[in-house]
Amino acid sequence: MTEARYYERGPIPETPEPKQRQDHWTATKVVGQALPRVDAYQRLSGAAIYPSDVNLPEMLYGAVLRCPHAHAKVQSLDTTAAEQMPGVRAILTAESPGTDIPWQPESEGPASVLFDSVCRFEGEAVAAVAAATPYQAHDALRTIRVVYDVLPAVSNPQAALEPGAPKVHPDGNSSGEPSTYERGDVNAGFDAADAVVEETFAVPFLLHTPLEPHGCVARWEGDKLTLWESTQGVYNVQSQTAAALDLPLSHVRVIGHYVGGGFGSKLAIGKYTLIAALLAKQTAKPVKVFLSREETLLCVGNRPGGTMRLKAGAKRDGSLTALEFEALGSGGAYSPYGTGLFDWQIRDLYNCSNVRTKGQSAYINAGEERPMRAPGHPQGSWALEQILDALAEKLGLDPLELRLRNLTTVSQARGGIPYTSTGFKECLEEGARAFGWAAARARPAADGALVRGVGMGGCTWIAGAGGPPSTAIVKYFADGSVNLNMGASDIGTGTKTVMAMVVAEELGVPLERIQIEHADTGTTEFATASGGSKTVPTESPAVRAAALDCKEQLLVMAAADLETPVGDLQLHEGEVFSSRDSSKRMAVKEISQFQRRRTVVGIGYRGPNPEGKATCPFAAQFCEVEVDKLTGEVRVLRFLGAHDSGRVMSRLTYDNQVYGGIVMGIGFGLMERRVLDEKQTGKMVNRNWHDYKIPTAMDVPAAIESLPIEIQDLECNTTGAKGLGEPVTIPTAAAIANAVYHATGVRVTEAPINPTRLLELLAAHDQRRA
Amino acid sequence: MLPNFAYIRARTKQEALNNLGSEGAHVHAGGTDILGCARAEVFEVEKIVSISRLEELRGITRSSDGSLRIGALTTISEIAQSPLVQESYPGLAQAAGDVASPQLRNQGTLGGNLCQRPRCWYFRGDFHCAKKGGDLCYAVEGENRYHAILGGDPCYIVHPSDTAPMLVALGAEIHISGAAGSRSMPLQDFFVLPDQDLSRENLLEPGEIVTEVLLPGASGIKSSYRKIRERGAWDFALVSVALAVRMNGSTIAEARLVLGGVAPVPWRAEAAERALIGKQPSPSVAADAAAAAVAGAQPLEQNAYKVLLAKGAILESLLAL
Repeated sequence: MTEARYYERGPIPETPEPKQRQDHWTATKVVGQALPRVDAYQRLSGAAIYPSDVNLPEMLYGAVLRCPHAHAKVQSLDTTAAEQMPGVRAILTAESPGTDIPWQPESEGPASVLFDSVCRFEGEAVAAVAAATPYQAHDALRTIRVVYDVLPAVSNPQAALEPGAPKVHPDGNSSGEPSTYERGDVNAGFDAADAVVEETFAVPFLLHTPLEPHGCVARWEGDKLTLWESTQGVYNVQSQTAAALDLPLSHVRVIGHYVGGGFGSKLAIGKYTLIAALLAKQTAKPVKVFLSREETLLCVGNRPGGTMRLKAGAKRDGSLTALEFEALGSGGAYSPYGTGLFDWQIRDLYNCSNVRTKGQSAYINAGEERPMRAPGHPQGSWALEQILDALAEKLGLDPLELRLRNLTTVSQARGGIPYTSTGFKECLEEGARAFGWAAARARPAADGALVRGVGMGGCTWIAGAGGPPSTAIVKYFADGSVNLNMGASDIGTGTKTVMAMVVAEELGVPLERIQIEHADTGTTEFATASGGSKTVPTESPAVRAAALDCKEQLLVMAAADLETPVGDLQLHEGEVFSSRDSSKRMAVKEISQFQRRRTVVGIGYRGPNPEGKATCPFAAQFCEVEVDKLTGEVRVLRFLGAHDSGRVMSRLTYDNQVYGGIVMGIGFGLMERRVLDEKQTGKMVNRNWHDYKIPTAMDVPAAIESLPIEIQDLECNTTGAKGLGEPVTIPTAAAIANAVYHATGVRVTEAPINPTRLLELLAAHDQRRA
Repeated sequence: MLPNFAYIRARTKQEALNNLGSEGAHVHAGGTDILGCARAEVFEVEKIVSISRLEELRGITRSSDGSLRIGALTTISEIAQSPLVQESYPGLAQAAGDVASPQLRNQGTLGGNLCQRPRCWYFRGDFHCAKKGGDLCYAVEGENRYHAILGGDPCYIVHPSDTAPMLVALGAEIHISGAAGSRSMPLQDFFVLPDQDLSRENLLEPGEIVTEVLLPGASGIKSSYRKIRERGAWDFALVSVALAVRMNGSTIAEARLVLGGVAPVPWRAEAAERALIGKQPSPSVAADAAAAAVAGAQPLEQNAYKVLLAKGAILESLLAL
């Protein structure tokens, strides 16, 4: 299992070295500014056409019949009535020609087929219909008679591994040997410790809830397929669809200009993609398949939950001597990665010579996990950041101080190679200063029912370096306007804006004169999927290289006209001038060769990352909460995120990431949890946006501060950017838990923290004290 | 996707009542929940009869005797923002303001809020539960953290309304019209427990609609509503406390304490009221009342916190007097 699986899920070839030597930016004019998004008007006015907005002439609507049971075998299926329903154009079942397509969500996981006769989770696809209207399609689904043999289901990983548990797969429920990691001598480490703490933690399964549901529109022209898919990576959709349907890549065009959120759940195709393509093929009409909210919650994503035991030992001075971690989780019915990367924070963040981790994953009758914003990391952070606070208390140290005493500049989990940069110390120190940590910590406890506390947590993120391949093209037109062509998706994070700013920086062209063409396998260059906090560090160096290639060509042409060495020339706002001789200057559009050629095309590639080094973002987050001890209500009063993600490329999108990540982390900390009817049917009881609670504006403080810790990283890549989208949500929930402890003296080891859990813990705590 | 149904927007009350008598007919007022129920197939929807055009059912008016009439089609926002309500029944303004979200309050009506179907996820979900004619209340053995701790057997729904507990505490009367004529009753008597009738939550007969709610004058009455929920908007009460008291000097002369979120009906805690009447408010009196309110609670596996929560919220409400 590679790290890349979690944010990429596709092969990673190499691209050529960039041609130009690229000096590091010292001062920047555009990059780093707080500029509105290049597509803000389109997004806000509704002019932006998301894949779910695509409506084509004669388009049909597909709908998927889904198994209503957590575990069942299809005994028989009768579509006779559905075939007679008005508007119905095609029905697909396991018997239909061309549907025997292998479906294996994870290469190391169990295999299935498009319509599997054994449904291992509620919502598994059983049949599909295309009809003239969405209502006709759904009415037809209602008339399909399926006889199920309902099988016993298992809903949580503990139960799944017990002897006699219902088997999700014939070979049983274990997803294989536990994954293990060890360095140093853990037993000796604990023997050497002056203080040891140990605790069991639990986190729920969380659900992806992007605003735009999953789905696509499929259209065939002859043997060529075009898909408009709501995706984080058009090239992943292209390769996976081509492989499933046995088509050449050139015959699958995937367009995903806009995507209404993905959070990791749209890195890969869904069965809906193939169903849309097959229905479109059979009917010779475009077919749109977009899932309902309920379907997305059941079928196309969740973040694994589970239990974790963490033991930590430290010397009296706070230095860690040993960490031992054990996790049990589940990736659902088909993914063996139920505890994937749960242990990464424990392995890599704090300096500790003796570390042992173990992760055991079990199959259960629930939808397959998909990566969710920092796979595994928030779960592990929930345990690690809380155990560190417990350890600090036992040692009589401030939690911040304990963390500062365990810093490292090498990636211990990667065999001790150095980071290209680490601003973790600055995140902790400057974050604490800006937050007013010391004063807030020292504040005497209130004696009423309303008590306040502050908490913090640190983190790193496994990825965030980005890397090859990426190819970008910049075209400089005769009038000085520019076209930027890149394959990357902008998943709402502002990728287009950041890349336009890079072009503007190098070519001196205002943003409004840059047109962006992206996320279309038919017209743009290969890019990996946007995920893993790697899009900016991957694409920005390629875009910069393309802009520099373009500039270099223009300057060479100008040098001929000006009869001056090209090395003396600079380009700014449509003008070329010599830095040595002020008389040597001309407008770009007057360059004679350029006038004949009309367009200059620059190509840029993403160069390799430095060898033998690791590039990772770091962060520290601080929060203050208020707890009502009579009711168990927890209110987050303020948050501060201090983030080292290298260069701040775009201040507004940077801050947006921090705000968004903290909001998502508040959801994890205070309210979100998937609930399965474990003891009875195994079905999901909160499969809608009312019962699956994500935070609203009322649950999020107005006071969220983003504090960039801008550490210059001269080695990581040619723009100095590291990833940001994931670290912003890693330590958030743990920081809240630590603040609740500070306020109440109650450590909530199981998320989420709200009256349904906290009140009983508070009562037990009062009883112990009495 | 919605199933097919007939839609009638009545011009007169009589037209509405004539149409509502048939099987599978449902009344539509604000429409914030009926379409969701139809889409999720919570119950059969053959015909939707909209009363949204019946202006006579709208509005808040004060009578000369100090009582307040609130038409059933008055929106929750109108109640929350009404100066008449805010001045005399601050608890009701608070309760209305705590309902759902601004959009839903703008659209939802008082009649709908009182008659809304329960939010039990088994009832709402794809489960053939006892309330829907099945054999089983899935909440008994299942995921029951949001279910009833009082009055549950044989169905552990909780009444979801915020306005109902407060209106019961304020001694409201409900007016109902049907093809056979009109009737009224204390709002408290309007709601029925599952052991009286499993299939419904109130006495409204098929073909009847709520027309208005009448509140007695509130001279000398202090009222408050405290709602505890997991999420700050668009969430139903884990527990709520509606309190209406009349003080005589420093002594509590009258008290009505009604709990939301704990029982299939707005739960009047009469034992708690008795513990208050004739007493001067104090922490120990409040604690006694809080304990009395939940004395008969029978929590399920996951909802024992509601006992603590009800006590805490009652304590908080009483200490704020």
